[in-house]
Amino acid sequence: MTEDDGGRGASEVRADRAAATGADSGSVEPVARIERVGHAFDGLEVLDDVSLDLRPGSAVALIGPNGAGKTTLLRIVAGLLRPDAGRVRVADGRRSNAGGSEARRPVRAGDEEAGARGARSVGYLPQSPSFRPRFSVAETLEFYADLVPGPVDVDAALDQVGLGSVRDRRVAALSGGMLRLLGVAQAIVGDPPLVVLDEPTGDLDPAMTDHVFEAVESLAAGGTAVLLATHDLTGAERADEVAFLDAGRLVFAGPPADFVSETGAASLPDAFLRQVRGEDGVAPAVRRGVER
Amino acid sequence: MNRSALLAVAGRELGTVVRTRSSVALAAVYALLVVGVAWTAGLSGYLSATLDLLAPMEALVPALALAFGYRSVYDDARSGELDVIRTYPVSRSGFVLGVYLGRLAPLLVVVAAPFVAVAVLVAVGGGAGSSVIASHGGADTWVLLVRFAVLTEMFAAVALAVALVVSTVARSLRGAIALGVAAAVALVVGFDLGIVAALGAGAVGEGSLQWLLAASPNSAYRGLVLQTVLGAVTTLPTPAASAPANLLGLLAWLVGALALAVVTVWPGGGR
Repeated sequence: MTEDDGGRGASEVRADRAAATGADSGSVEPVARIERVGHAFDGLEVLDDVSLDLRPGSAVALIGPNGAGKTTLLRIVAGLLRPDAGRVRVADGRRSNAGGSEARRPVRAGDEEAGARGARSVGYLPQSPSFRPRFSVAETLEFYADLVPGPVDVDAALDQVGLGSVRDRRVAALSGGMLRLLGVAQAIVGDPPLVVLDEPTGDLDPAMTDHVFEAVESLAAGGTAVLLATHDLTGAERADEVAFLDAGRLVFAGPPADFVSETGAASLPDAFLRQVRGEDGVAPAVRRGVER
Repeated sequence: MNRSALLAVAGRELGTVVRTRSSVALAAVYALLVVGVAWTAGLSGYLSATLDLLAPMEALVPALALAFGYRSVYDDARSGELDVIRTYPVSRSGFVLGVYLGRLAPLLVVVAAPFVAVAVLVAVGGGAGSSVIASHGGADTWVLLVRFAVLTEMFAAVALAVALVVSTVARSLRGAIALGVAAAVALVVGFDLGIVAALGAGAVGEGSLQWLLAASPNSAYRGLVLQTVLGAVTTLPTPAASAPANLLGLLAWLVGALALAVVTVWPGGGR
């Protein structure tokens, strides 16, 4: 929750965000379209026919058990891995101030040099972010800022993730959580229309975790599409949608409340366990809101 | 190519080298060795210093360049930072060139520094002139040492490009070390041995010898030094090498290695 949200529920915040960005999930052109993606490593299938739309102003939490294929999917969406089957279409980095889709031009999958000429299309936080240890926090972010066209307010970006007070500290002296926050700050450099975060709260304490999810909500409120893989189901409940990946298959995509209700659970953690364990009353492959 | 991104990458590499203690230690060891070799040889003149240093340089410069560059890209790949960089509007060529230039700048300074020291020592304590070349036909001037230094810088630039290839193809630290050692051995003796073997087997005619010599970076460097430094002051017949061919050989190695690094810096997959 942001401070302005007070004690309101996640669904109310999502409704406000959708209203502010015009991101009624059915009507807005997606920033990225994952189309029937499949992938295997050494013959072992890790993704099977995954389709998902990522819309501006919407945060999607990718959840699922370890080894479900979340990181692989994120790497494919970030353009770091070519899928064996299907494709991912991502809009280029140009975006309107309102965060709408008009200024976005879809680029063809594989058009690597197109990205090299223009703005940043996808922001990416790897599962284990790492930076040159002898550089300071500010120097690290300044390096990334220099890679994108146009000015970047490095101090504002550091303040946004709560690292403003350690801007001159060496990366080597950062805690694991701070390193991750620096990774989050790096992921939003260049104001990409899509931000992909792999376990952004992995090493963080509850306060920092809350801070990261606030940052995610703030990004989405500004019109950015966010796709994050997480095991923090309390945080995932704050996303606009959850996408449940199990053994490489997307078995659910939709609002967290729908996932909870369709699994007959009382909460998202409970729904997660029911889905993973295949307990009574749970459809093992519920699909909702997944466009093929 | 995004010039600002290239400069940013170059600046990051430069900052990394300058802040890495092992780089500073390597530079100090190299400088001590070069000055030490020149000192023990007597510092009798610029030409003799060049001749005394040529053989050690053929080993020291590739070793130094490989040490400066063999982990440059590999470290980013291992840490995952290369993946992050790939999500920015940075082309392969821009990134590779940035890394190369960022490492080349300090390498050139490190390579050149002991030449300045040697020149000062010769100027201050030398003066006996060259006595090793009986047919000495020109003045023993500092210009000879400058020529030698410039050619050595070129050789270092080529060796660094090879080091960059090592850093892009290595998949583990052990692999990077093994490849680095193999590249150093190849540069120092391997290609020369190949030339000798080809000559011994009669596989090379006299007409193509100059091209064969130019094909080895070490041999091309040696040939250029002998032709432009020794050849400038002596009436002795110069070796059977061609300066343009040697220059072309070094240039081909430089461009070829950088091109290979661009191709191998990251997988062709992805969006």
